[in-house]
Amino acid sequence: MTHILDIKDLVTNFYTYEGVVKALNKVSFHVNHGSTFGLVGESGCGKSVTVRSIMQIVQSPGVIEGGEIHFSPDSDNGETGIDLLKQTERFMQDLRGNKISMIFQEPNAALNPIMTIGEQIAESYVFHRKNQIIEKILGLDRTGENLFPKVSANPLFLPLYHLALHRPDAFLLELIKKVPFLRNWDRAVLHTAIEKSVELLATLGIPNPDKIVHQYPHNLSGGMKQRVVIAIALASEPVLLIADEATSNLDVTVQAQILDLLKDLKKKNIISSILLITHDLGVVNETCDRVGVMYAGNLCEVGKVTDLFENPKHPYTKALLDSVPKIRQIGDLKSIAGNVPNLVNPPLGCRFHPRCGHAMAKCKEVFPEMTIVDDDHEVACYLYH
Amino acid sequence: MVVVLFGVSVLMFSILMSFSPERRAVAYATSAKQIKEIPILVAKYGLDDPYHIQYIRWITQIFKGNFGYSTVASSPTLDAIIKYLPTTIELNLFSMPIIITLGIWLGTIAGIHRDTFIDHTTRIAAIVGWSLPTFLFALILLMIFYSQFQLFPPEVISDHIDDFISDNPDKFIQYTGMYVIDGLLNRNFEVVADALKHLVLPVVTQVTVVIAILVRVMRSSMLEEISKDYVITAKAKGVDINTIHQKHVKKNALLPAITISGWLVCLSIEGSVTVEFIFNRAGLGLLLVKAATQLDIPVVLAISLLLGLIYVVANLIIDVLYAVIDPRIRLN
Amino acid sequence: METKVEHPRLKELKFTLYRIFRNPSAIIGIILLAAFTLVALFAPHIAPPKYKHRPYMMPHKGYSMEPKAPSQQNFFGTTSGQYDIFYGVVWGTRTAFRIGIIVVLTAFVIGASFGIIAGYYGGWIDEIIMRVVDVFFAVPFTILAMAFVVRFGRGLDQIMIAMVLVVWRRYARVMRAGVLSVRNEDYILAAKSMGVSDIKIMLRHIFPNAVYPVMVIAFMDAGSIVITAAFLSFIGLGAPIGYADWGQMLAMARNYIVGPVGEPLKYWYTIFFPGSAMILFVLAWNLFGDAIRDAFDPKLRRK
Repeated sequence: MTHILDIKDLVTNFYTYEGVVKALNKVSFHVNHGSTFGLVGESGCGKSVTVRSIMQIVQSPGVIEGGEIHFSPDSDNGETGIDLLKQTERFMQDLRGNKISMIFQEPNAALNPIMTIGEQIAESYVFHRKNQIIEKILGLDRTGENLFPKVSANPLFLPLYHLALHRPDAFLLELIKKVPFLRNWDRAVLHTAIEKSVELLATLGIPNPDKIVHQYPHNLSGGMKQRVVIAIALASEPVLLIADEATSNLDVTVQAQILDLLKDLKKKNIISSILLITHDLGVVNETCDRVGVMYAGNLCEVGKVTDLFENPKHPYTKALLDSVPKIRQIGDLKSIAGNVPNLVNPPLGCRFHPRCGHAMAKCKEVFPEMTIVDDDHEVACYLYH
Repeated sequence: MVVVLFGVSVLMFSILMSFSPERRAVAYATSAKQIKEIPILVAKYGLDDPYHIQYIRWITQIFKGNFGYSTVASSPTLDAIIKYLPTTIELNLFSMPIIITLGIWLGTIAGIHRDTFIDHTTRIAAIVGWSLPTFLFALILLMIFYSQFQLFPPEVISDHIDDFISDNPDKFIQYTGMYVIDGLLNRNFEVVADALKHLVLPVVTQVTVVIAILVRVMRSSMLEEISKDYVITAKAKGVDINTIHQKHVKKNALLPAITISGWLVCLSIEGSVTVEFIFNRAGLGLLLVKAATQLDIPVVLAISLLLGLIYVVANLIIDVLYAVIDPRIRLN
Repeated sequence: METKVEHPRLKELKFTLYRIFRNPSAIIGIILLAAFTLVALFAPHIAPPKYKHRPYMMPHKGYSMEPKAPSQQNFFGTTSGQYDIFYGVVWGTRTAFRIGIIVVLTAFVIGASFGIIAGYYGGWIDEIIMRVVDVFFAVPFTILAMAFVVRFGRGLDQIMIAMVLVVWRRYARVMRAGVLSVRNEDYILAAKSMGVSDIKIMLRHIFPNAVYPVMVIAFMDAGSIVITAAFLSFIGLGAPIGYADWGQMLAMARNYIVGPVGEPLKYWYTIFFPGSAMILFVLAWNLFGDAIRDAFDPKLRRK
């Protein structure tokens, strides 16, 4: 059985003035088709860097330096999929927001303040569904599916639409982009896409979508903005949705709504696989099938949520679970002694050893490889070697 | 805004008041004849009265269009300003569009290609342009293109064209006082060509000196916007890097550039003063320099007041422009 | 393992120096500034004055109007009136430093004081001070300076006073913005609650934390003020004829930019030497100021 996403030995470093920040140290895990995978850890442990590496949108001075990211969108395909790290930027552009989408932590910052909501959602369609839209405009809809609403275009520009459909790189099209007034000839594409965005917002349960598309981010509340960010991500019906702390910065009630929305979308099969990043173990428990625990750029433990929460193996996982307050808390909350290490000079061997009660001599020298302790339950710790 | 204008008038009046009544009487005179009868002026306008009474009298005269008599121009100050103004407007009519489009373009590409050859070149060019004393740069241009190559002469128009225009008021009607525009309106392309030839060096000077600050602001605001989260959202959407820069980043980066346009206006005015002085163009700047060197008080004060007015109006326009581009301002 | 803990200000300073010295244009700026400083300091040795009591007056031999080309006696040639260009360039460096530093320092003290007072007290004090600043901002620098010069009359000291009266406005505005950004920080509130006097809070706590943006502008201004002063001298409002001032020397050269027929660039040296000196001087300050700004800019420094 193949996995939709299979990451092997991912290494990402940041070259800063203070030195090389070794943000990811050989991270390996996989996400199953049709499942939700949770990635947990304290802030700064490399969760976000992991997913940005998958999308290859790590910001300068970050560099992906090694590993493999196999992506297989079809579940019945027996092959190992394509290695995203070997693809061109052009290929990744087509993939991003199309096959893999992402939603972000801070909805206030994630939206462009001076573009309308409609324009921002429409961009997804314009970049990934342009041909279908043009076919619709030209009345060439061969598939018969009613993907896009019909919008009439200026008949003068119809030849240009034909040209754009058959020879998208035509010199004439490049040239016309430089001419004022004429450069907006393909406005009908944008209008179609905005009409489609209205539909999408409606399916996400946003009231008055036809008004919202003409508003700007600052007109909306935080929860609404996050729904818009989700709408942008869902526009092209991705097979994998990455949610990077998507609910962390929202009010608790809004957080619950967004999580319900994600669950609902999954139930309705609008999205099949989710990679969820969070520092909130409650969220993981509620939404995920499998979970990976990260610490200081290392993956410590991966397994089914039920296994891992009931029977944690790695000392860090145990400590993490102990530090979460429970409704019927018995005794004091336990915190983890010591501090998160500086990733410029991380501890040799297991990066958790300075804070670990079970540290042995070899923990300080060589990083422990992942070992299978149970069915679909792996842990990187010498206690289980 | 009105407060600022009032403040400028008080400031100018205070400078005026620091002179003796006899010397500041020229600021009230309306003709050459009155200049010779200073004691009459002093008595007429009560120049020994308290400050605030004199201020009200002075500002009333200003509103009536009496800015005093200019000894440099040998005419009432307002007439002189109206006569010299078109040349200055013509210069800025040509330089401003170039400064804005070229400055934004250069700043954008420098910001996009941070720390590359293009960036360093633009940066160094901007800083050298900023360091170049305008008058020196203009002198060097004159030395090379006028003295050595005899290409672009100083002044506004060649003598024979000027003679032709003043000899044939019926064939060449001066609608605006700007030779290029009047030439076009009269369909006299010889005048247009000659006026353009005289404009090349002044415009080049003005652009070089003023553009630096715009390039610099545009570059740094591009750098700031490029690191914002919405850029990542757009990337994750699959938008290509060119579209991200042109559509997302550049538009946001334009906002800080608009806020400094008041400064650009100031720099352009200063640039015009220098350019007109060096190239001997009969504009407001030349009038101002002549007035300042010959201590012609009314002209200097009147031009300062006028510039205060221009500054206030320019800022109003900038506020409107800002509201048009930034939806967040529009609502408040 | 014991790591030595550095004082945070020291650490930041080290980082700042690292940023400055990583930037090649900053190094050029610093070298140029150092060279100009040496020339200014050793002016009496490089170009011994002829009139001991008036060293800033350029020595001249004869009254011939025609400039003479560089020679053994006059390295850079002579200008109209036979003033020695080399002497003028060397002593002009002193004049330039004097103008730049005195004007900037005086304006800095005035502007920063008003800025701190406006930002710290707020309310109507702030309102009044900032309205006055707005008024001064409404007229461009050179033109407002000219208006003041018309009042004070011609002369180098007069244009310096006139420029101070204009330049302070920017320091006041930037200083106030800086003060506003730190005014409600916890350490200020803590100092206030402990009963530290206003003056002490302003000087010890607010000033050091709000002064960097003003300093950056001040460095850049030291150059541009020399340009403005030179222009005012050039149009005849500043230094008198024969005074070792680059602007005044360029004014003397103005009539010689067009040479005799056949030799259009015959008198190039009259413009070239004082002109280059001025460009390099201003460039030095700007490169230096630019590097300082980049190094201090919290938004850009960590990238």
